[in-house]
Amino acid sequence: MNKYIFPNIIRIIVIFLVQVLIFKQMTFTVDNTIFVHFLIYPLAILLFPVKTPRIILMITGFIMGLGLDLFYDSVGIHAATLVFTAYIRNIVIAFIEPFDKYNVIDVPTIRNLGIGWFVSYLSILLFIHILVYFSIEAFSFVYFFEIFINTIFSFIVSFIIIMLSQLIFRPKF
Amino acid sequence: MYNVIQLLIKYGAHILFVVLEFICFTLIINNNDAQKDIFINSSSILTGKIEEQRSNLIEYNNLKNLNDSLLRENATLIENLITIDYSNDNIPPGDSILSQYSLIPSKIINSTINLRNNYYTLNTGSRQGVKPDMGVVSSHTGLIGIVRNVSENFAHVISILNRQTKISCAIKNRVGHGTLVWDDMDPLRMTLGSIPKHEKIAIGDTIITSGYSTIFPRGILVGTIESYTVPPGSNSFAITVKLFNDLTSIKYGYVIQNRYAEEQSKLEKEVISE
Repeated sequence: MNKYIFPNIIRIIVIFLVQVLIFKQMTFTVDNTIFVHFLIYPLAILLFPVKTPRIILMITGFIMGLGLDLFYDSVGIHAATLVFTAYIRNIVIAFIEPFDKYNVIDVPTIRNLGIGWFVSYLSILLFIHILVYFSIEAFSFVYFFEIFINTIFSFIVSFIIIMLSQLIFRPKF
Repeated sequence: MYNVIQLLIKYGAHILFVVLEFICFTLIINNNDAQKDIFINSSSILTGKIEEQRSNLIEYNNLKNLNDSLLRENATLIENLITIDYSNDNIPPGDSILSQYSLIPSKIINSTINLRNNYYTLNTGSRQGVKPDMGVVSSHTGLIGIVRNVSENFAHVISILNRQTKISCAIKNRVGHGTLVWDDMDPLRMTLGSIPKHEKIAIGDTIITSGYSTIFPRGILVGTIESYTVPPGSNSFAITVKLFNDLTSIKYGYVIQNRYAEEQSKLEKEVISE
């Protein structure tokens, strides 16, 4: 199990830096109404080994979220969202379990569990993550339509970026 | 202790989730203006609703107190009006006149209106300073009656809708005065007699109390002239007066306390007995 700790820490740092240094600058608007954010950082939580305890996921998500909030000037929003994503990650994993069960050491990557499984895993969690993010940002369901539109556009661009990165780098751990 | 540890092992992740989200939302609300505004507004909508319900309830309970305070306030205002009417009559304003009348707010707790002779009962009596032969008005406009008997806490009032009623009245801005009586059974109308027929009057003129008694001060508005005739063989008008106040639905009254009533009537009696 210990061999997973180091790569995950490295990956969190890399994803964090990529998010705040590159994708934060790429935020753009369409017609001044649709805000498209590239949110690739949930990948850090998503690529933890399948059997990682929730507590570790949530604490990691909390710390990473607070770090992101420092760069995004939105104290607590990313942290709340990432804690939520970490909380539901294991539920989603259990929900989309393949027929031949997970191995204890499985890391949820394309290499280990196949591209079909990974697409459904990523799309469910990423969509929930972005929806929760915009909901907390708007903080009121009065803006339901705006939340939904922003979520869909941001989901599409983030999903494409993450899938490309996974297909290019094909991480082992 | 074992149970607590068991609980933490079983639900630790959920508890941690709640704790972390609580921390996050506290941070969000305290540090982001937009979210803070929404949070404060939404919570004030909720608390505002609760406060409103509460104040509705308390207001209902306070209605009685509110009513009492309004009655007292009204009494003072009517006292002032009476005083002002006096000063308009070119009587030199002296301290003695200014403080001649004071009003005692009272609640009408029993009344008759359909009889030939009607009476009211007030919830104020000798303890509050009510004495027989004091006038009772419903406000600056409208008479109620005259106190007949008092007990410690109650006063029995002869309504103006009573065969015994004879109130000295005048027509505003005209000379002469007459006597107001109730001779038909209509609770909204009374008859003003003994105004000489050479006086000029018109329909719509305002009838006020003349003040030629110790009971009512001059200038309390009574009603308006609805119609008038000169009965054959009579020397004076028979004027039908429409009252300003509806005595059938009256709930509060003010007893007029004339500070110099005794002095005046004593003096007048001396003259008569001479």
